[in-house]
Amino acid sequence: MSKITIPLGPQHPALKEPENFMLVLEGEQISGATVNLGYNHRGMEKAAEERTYIQNLYLIERVCGICSHSHTTCYITNVEEIAKAETPKRALAIRALFGELERVHSHLLWLGVAAYEMGFETLFMYTWRDREQVLDCLEMLSGNRVHYSINTIGGVRRDISAEQKAEVLKRIAYLEERTKYYVKIGTEESTILARTQNVGKLPYDVAIQRGAVGPTARASGVARDVRKDEPYLIYNELDFKVITHDTCDVFGRLVVRVLELVESYKMIKQILNGLPEGPIAVKVPMRLPAGEAVNHYEAPRGEDIHYLKANGTDKPDRVKVRAPTMANLQSVAYMMEGGWLADAPLVIAAIDPCMSCTDRAAVWDPKKGKTTVYGWEELRKMGIEHYKRRGVDFSRL
Amino acid sequence: MSEFEKEEKIKGALEAQFPGVVSNAAVQRKNRVWLDCAADKLPAVLDWMRGQGFDHLATVTGFDEGENLGAAYHMTDTHMIVTVKARTPRANPSLPSVLSIFPGALSYERELEDMFGIKVQGLPPGRRYPLDDDFPKDQYPLRKDWKFVPPADEVEAK
Amino acid sequence: MKIKDKLITWALLKSPWILHFNSGACNGCDIEIVDALTPKYDIERFGMVLKATPRHADILVVSGPVTRQQAKRLRTIYEQMPEPKFVMAVGACACSGGVFNGCYGVIPGVDKTLPVSVYVPGCPVRPEAIIDGVVKLIQSVEGKK
Repeated sequence: MSKITIPLGPQHPALKEPENFMLVLEGEQISGATVNLGYNHRGMEKAAEERTYIQNLYLIERVCGICSHSHTTCYITNVEEIAKAETPKRALAIRALFGELERVHSHLLWLGVAAYEMGFETLFMYTWRDREQVLDCLEMLSGNRVHYSINTIGGVRRDISAEQKAEVLKRIAYLEERTKYYVKIGTEESTILARTQNVGKLPYDVAIQRGAVGPTARASGVARDVRKDEPYLIYNELDFKVITHDTCDVFGRLVVRVLELVESYKMIKQILNGLPEGPIAVKVPMRLPAGEAVNHYEAPRGEDIHYLKANGTDKPDRVKVRAPTMANLQSVAYMMEGGWLADAPLVIAAIDPCMSCTDRAAVWDPKKGKTTVYGWEELRKMGIEHYKRRGVDFSRL
Repeated sequence: MSEFEKEEKIKGALEAQFPGVVSNAAVQRKNRVWLDCAADKLPAVLDWMRGQGFDHLATVTGFDEGENLGAAYHMTDTHMIVTVKARTPRANPSLPSVLSIFPGALSYERELEDMFGIKVQGLPPGRRYPLDDDFPKDQYPLRKDWKFVPPADEVEAK
Repeated sequence: MKIKDKLITWALLKSPWILHFNSGACNGCDIEIVDALTPKYDIERFGMVLKATPRHADILVVSGPVTRQQAKRLRTIYEQMPEPKFVMAVGACACSGGVFNGCYGVIPGVDKTLPVSVYVPGCPVRPEAIIDGVVKLIQSVEGKK
C-alpha cells in the first residue's frame, strides 16, 4: 500500500482557528501524525509588555472567545497576588459563578460541534438553542454574550441583584431538564456510541506523559482538576465531583463533559444561594511592586496556566499564557495514529480544540506525483459516509 | 516554617540532591516554590522531580534579563507548582532539551528558539513555532531589544 | 446589465451564500457567526447558507485581525471566489485590528489585504448585526441596479 502524506488543516464549521496536522496514510489508516501550529499567532505576549495592567485585561480576554473569563481570571489572580490585594469574597464568588456559566456554555457548544462532526445535526441545533439560555444569563449579568469582562483589578465590575439571581436560577432549572436528555442520548444512543467508542484511544500513562489536561485527560481516568487539586476562588467551599471515565476514548470525553454540565449546574445554584455579602472590589494601585507569580485555573478545556512578572512600573515585564489546548495537542497526534482517516475530524474535535481552521488539506500521492486539495468539510462528509456504509446513520433520528 | 511543610520538604530535598547545581531556592507562599538551576543539569533536575510526583510540566516561560536569557520550567504534581529557572548567556544562548522526560514539551521548546533565539540542544528538526515561515530567522520578538515597527502601508492614516 | 448578470445578481440577492474565514480570531465572532445558523436567529430562513468552499460563495465573511500567516490564505480564498463577490469584515478586529492593533503578528484590519464592502463592528459582533450586515449589503447591490 502506498503511503500518502496529508497536511490536514481542519476547517471546523463552528470554530475556525488555523492549525495543521500532517497525517501519513497507509490506505485509509493513519500511520503517523504530527502537529503544526502557529497560524493564530498574533504577538500578544509582546504587546502585553507595552500596555498597562488594566489594558491587558481586555487583551488577555481575547486570547479566546470561548474561555475568555478563564484567561482574565488567571491573569488577574497573578496581578492581585503580586499587588498583595485582598480581593473581597463576594468578588471571588461572582468570578466562580461566571467560570461555571462559561463552562456550561462551552460544553454545550462542544456537544453541538461534536454532534455536527458526526453528522447529527439535530443535536447540534438543540444544544446551541439551549446554549442561548446561558448566553442570556451572561448578557444580563455582564452586558455581553461573549467577552463578559466581569473582572477588574481588585474584584469584579458589576454586582448581582436579586432579580438577576432569580432569572439565572430559572434558566438553570430549564437547562437541568434539557441536560437529562443529553445525558441519556450521549450514553445510550447507539449511533453516537458507534462513532465514539474505541475511537481516539489515549491510555492513562500516555495522557500523563504527554501532559494532557481537562476532560481529555479525565476521560482516560486521570483524576486531575485544578478546582479540586489546588482550589482557587471559592471552590474549596463548593460541593462537586470531579468527573472521570475509564474508556480513554472519544466516548469517554463526551460522557465527562455532559456529566460536568450537571456538576456545574449544582455549583451555580450553590454560589447564587450562598453569595457572601460585602464589597465587589478593592482599590489596587496602578503600579505593581516587583515580583512574580504563577497560577493555574480549570478552564472548560483543562488547565490554563499564566505567569506574570512585575517590575515596579504600571506595565508588566513578562506575561505568559499557556492555554489548555496547547497541552492537549501532543496527545492528539498519539490518538490519531492507528486510527481511520474517517475518524480524524472527531478525534481532533474531541479534545475541544480552541482552534479553528480554514486550511485546506492537500493530499499528495508520491506515486502519481499529483496533489489534490480536500477541505475539512469533505473529510467530515467522508467520515459520515464511511460510517453510513457500516449502518451508522443519524438521519433516521 | 511548619506552615509550609510540604514546600520546605521539596525545597530541602532538591538542595540535598543537587548541591552546587540548585540555588536561590525559596518558598514563596503556599504551594509555590521557586529555584534556579545550572543549565546543563536541567534535564537531571526535571527527571528527578518527575520521580517525586511532579509529572506534569505545565509550561515553559522564556525570559530576557539583559545579560542573560533563560527559561522557567513550571512543574506541578497538580497541588504544588515548583518553578525551575535555567539561565544562559545572551552572547551564546543554549539550553538542553527536556523532551526525553516530557514529550509534551515540544511546542514549548520550539517557542524558546523562535521567540528568544535560545538554541535548545537535542530538539528534533521540524517546523518552527509559533512564527510564520516568512518571519526572518534572526529576529526574536520577545527579546527586550526587539521593537515592532509596522511598515508604512499597515499604519492607519490618522 | 446583460441578462446573465441580472440572473446572477438576482440569485445573490435571493439567496446569498456565505463563506466564513477566520484570519486568526479569538473565536468570539466565529461562534456568533455560527450562532446565526441556530434556531434563535436562523439565517437559513433568509436563504443564507454557510458554504465550505470559496467556489460556491457570494460573500466572504472574515473574522479576525488577519495574522500574517493567514493573510496569504485569505488572498487565495478571495481569488478563488467567482464574481460577483463581496467581503464582509465582521468584528472590531476585522474592521481595524481591534485589540490587536500594534501587535507584530497582525496586519490590522481586513481592508489592508482585501477590498471590503461591509464593516460590522462589535466585540464580538452580535448575530443580529451579522444578519443586518448581509441585508445592508444586498440593499446596496439592489440600489446599484
